[in-house]
Amino acid sequence: MMAYSEDHIALAAEYALGTLDAEERAQVETMMSVDKDFTAMVGAWEHKLGVLNQMVGSVEPRPEVWDKIRTATGLAEPQAPLVLPDAPQPPVAPEVSEPAAVVDPSNVIRLSTEARRWRNIATLTTAIAAALVAMIAVAVYQPDLLPEGIRPKPRTQVVEVKTPSAPTPSAQYVAVLQKEGGSPAFILTVEGATKNFWVRRVGASAEPGKSFELWLISDKLQRPRSLGVIGNGDFTARPVLASYDTDTINTATYAVTIEQAGGSPDGKPTSAPAFTGKLIETVPPAAPAPSPAP
Amino acid sequence: MLTPAELVWLIAAVAKGDEAAFERLYAATRAKLFGVVLRILRRQDLAEEVIQEAYVKIWNSAGRFNPGLSSPITWMTSIARNRAIDVVRKRSELSIEEEPAAMEVAADSPDPLARREMTEELKRLLECVGRLEPDRQKLVLLAYYNGWSREQLAAKFETPVNTVKTWLRRSMMDIRECLGL
Repeated sequence: MMAYSEDHIALAAEYALGTLDAEERAQVETMMSVDKDFTAMVGAWEHKLGVLNQMVGSVEPRPEVWDKIRTATGLAEPQAPLVLPDAPQPPVAPEVSEPAAVVDPSNVIRLSTEARRWRNIATLTTAIAAALVAMIAVAVYQPDLLPEGIRPKPRTQVVEVKTPSAPTPSAQYVAVLQKEGGSPAFILTVEGATKNFWVRRVGASAEPGKSFELWLISDKLQRPRSLGVIGNGDFTARPVLASYDTDTINTATYAVTIEQAGGSPDGKPTSAPAFTGKLIETVPPAAPAPSPAP
Repeated sequence: MLTPAELVWLIAAVAKGDEAAFERLYAATRAKLFGVVLRILRRQDLAEEVIQEAYVKIWNSAGRFNPGLSSPITWMTSIARNRAIDVVRKRSELSIEEEPAAMEVAADSPDPLARREMTEELKRLLECVGRLEPDRQKLVLLAYYNGWSREQLAAKFETPVNTVKTWLRRSMMDIRECLGL
């Protein structure tokens, strides 16, 4: 690959990051059409950054989308039902996953480096989850904090969260529920004023015949209290926290257990928590710019 | 769920015009791609348009996919995400206000691609992002995940656009050095 100036490298990187304006993006695309090496550099950045999408939750598009794709690609003509050919065995390729950390008692330094590394990553994944959810929460509750241009019209609910209509801006509390050192599995957001909460599933799927159930665990209470079964959708919203006082809510541990389909039959968890977390982040209660409540 | 190797095989079949392979490829990847573009566009209708265009492009350019340079899912996601970014940049003066029911999403997500353990590549990248100052970590993540423009980031960080420009550039250069690119 030929040597590129730092300006070129930065342009390729920012194209992949997505922060160039429309004109700059058009410039990059023109350069890519005439310069194979530059295209490869952009591709390398896209590949490096692309792994971040592993953290993004999946959302099913509506079935109509496929019909439109078929029409647009000229595949929509009436035809015999598709018969899947016998798939040749795909070449045996190594899975991208990594073997667990090397277990070698003599290699203490390496192990502790690995542990530190994991701690750093765990911290950062929490930051990612918090950044993502803060953004969603801002969009729902404090649209005025959003930059001009993506600000929703008042009363437009921008996220698929069932909250009471037109909530007034208030404090936000967020808990990231995860396994020790694992990536976030659920993000719990509590709206301070109403104590409504919603749970966003980000990295967990229940086995068939099982349900995830959310619990509140507090030293003020004698046993874990069920906050309900987490639905199959990306979001589950519930008002049941309203019966707990703010202090209990703020200091509690939130835990998710795996229960039989529909949840624990007797209101007690039947297994150890699979994911836990505490409320960690607060969106300050008042918007900096005063504005009429939606 | 399909492994990367199976996706590579499907893309190769799509390149030869295999419609059944295209349908399987779509089924295996649509929820991930849609999740990524919906986060950026924040409107169901726009996200659906972008997804349609992306799969048409995937159908037409499957022969140009090079498994030596990229993973199949990254290649496909990049096509969709680039299209989404183009759309938001061109519409930047418009707000989403004309949309009646923004983000009324039927949100069921059975896609196990998202649930795989973190790959070594993701761990490496996160390590490098983690070495940036906290504000810049957030800057890079908000830019990537939400597709925010420099102007939007400047508003969010209450900082002049030129400063954001400098931060972004330095952050990317730091990440580059850290990754050894």
